[in-house]
Amino acid sequence: MSTNAPTYESAVARIEEIIRRLDSGEAGLRETLALVNEGRDLVELCAGELEAVSRGLEELRLDDLVARLEGAQR
Amino acid sequence: MSQPAIAAGQSHSELPGPYPVGVYAARLKRRLLEFARVQLVGEVWGLRSSHARVYFELRDPVGALPCSMWLSDFERLGVTLADGVKVVIGGGCDYYPGSTSSSPSFTFAVSELRVAGEGDLLAELERLRRRLHADGLFERQKRLPRPGLPRTIGVVTGERGKARDDVLAGLRRRGWAGQLVWAFAPVQDRQAAPRIAAALRELAAIPEVEVVIVARGGGSLADLFAFCDEALCRTVALLRVPVISSVGHHTDRTLIDDVAAVCCSTPTHAAEAAVPIDCAAARAGLHQSARRLEHHSRRAITERARTLERLAAAPSHHIARQRRHLHQLLRELRATARRSLHDRRSRTATHLLVLGRATERARASERAARQRELHRLALALAAHDPERTLARGYALVEDRGGEALGSAQAARAARDVRLRFHDAKVDAEVR
Repeated sequence: MSTNAPTYESAVARIEEIIRRLDSGEAGLRETLALVNEGRDLVELCAGELEAVSRGLEELRLDDLVARLEGAQR
Repeated sequence: MSQPAIAAGQSHSELPGPYPVGVYAARLKRRLLEFARVQLVGEVWGLRSSHARVYFELRDPVGALPCSMWLSDFERLGVTLADGVKVVIGGGCDYYPGSTSSSPSFTFAVSELRVAGEGDLLAELERLRRRLHADGLFERQKRLPRPGLPRTIGVVTGERGKARDDVLAGLRRRGWAGQLVWAFAPVQDRQAAPRIAAALRELAAIPEVEVVIVARGGGSLADLFAFCDEALCRTVALLRVPVISSVGHHTDRTLIDDVAAVCCSTPTHAAEAAVPIDCAAARAGLHQSARRLEHHSRRAITERARTLERLAAAPSHHIARQRRHLHQLLRELRATARRSLHDRRSRTATHLLVLGRATERARASERAARQRELHRLALALAAHDPERTLARGYALVEDRGGEALGSAQAARAARDVRLRFHDAKVDAEVR
């Protein structure tokens, strides 16, 4: 995970904040469009995170994984 | 043993027998009952009861015995026992030989029991707990950030334990299907603690692993003692990844529970704690958020378009509105004028009628007055009519031209006169 990318929870929190602001009806056109664009990017990020844990359970044994990693280093 | 069950010689063993096992079991029971009845001291573990007896193990660091006691005898004592309580028991060995339909069992049949004091194991556990706490090891894991949606989870558990299935069930309940790294280790014997610690270190060394679950099903506190190992607890406390522990039942409290980031009552709950976000609900929520964002986007644009359209149409709307207003005023003005004219006409006609009637009355009155005057004049005139004088016997003297002669001189001058009586004229000559 990149340290700069927002976490799933922070992204969801920001999306909720954006929607609250939009629901309030106080945002002008320019701000609304900026918030919507930001929200779309965050929704895409969250969808990617969910997709990553939805592709099907992959079970590995630690021994096999360590052996694989050691093999890759050699 | 008196008689072998099967003729000797069919086996190459040098041992006597074979004997029927029931016979051997009965002999064993008799031999065990011959053991001297004694007092023993140790700690109680795994206390449980059936409808007739209570069962527990008496343990110390070098050995243990399965014990049982009649429930009625135990209840008469009025003592409260728990795992780790040190007791002194009195009794002797007993053996149930079993049969084709029941299992054999050995037990130390307890006839006396008294509490000896707090168990050494529990006391040692408490000392260790205080030491770890004083070193600040209870807080380190709890300060680590835990991902809401980890992609890779490590699990340390027994390979054949039920905890493995429970972890999978918990992850399924969350709708999570990412990468799971199993680190199988013994979870009960003397080697358990160092093997578990090694597995944890190796899992933490894999960069992709974001959270680790340590799970073991229920057991007596003695069975769970591997998870109270000091070296293991210090390893957990210093790991870079958060550890979620679920060791034993919810009533058990091992030291790894104290140092872990999160302590759960069951492996299923530990799996749910490792993935705090319900993936299915999160997908639904995300879909809803996306729809709301699109809705706001469309609404912002359409509202602005409507505003612009309204502003663009404002002048013509204003003129049209003013025109309608003027037309309305004009209609009202005309209606008012019509009403006024009609009223005036109506009033004039009334006046004329009144005037006509008054005039008529005046004319009639004047006519009557004139008729009366005329009649009076006629009467006055009639009073002065010469004819009426003539009628009374007088005669009027006229000349021949008809002019009246009023004096004797005029009559002498005329000579020829005419006398006019009321009934006829008579010519005469004046002399």
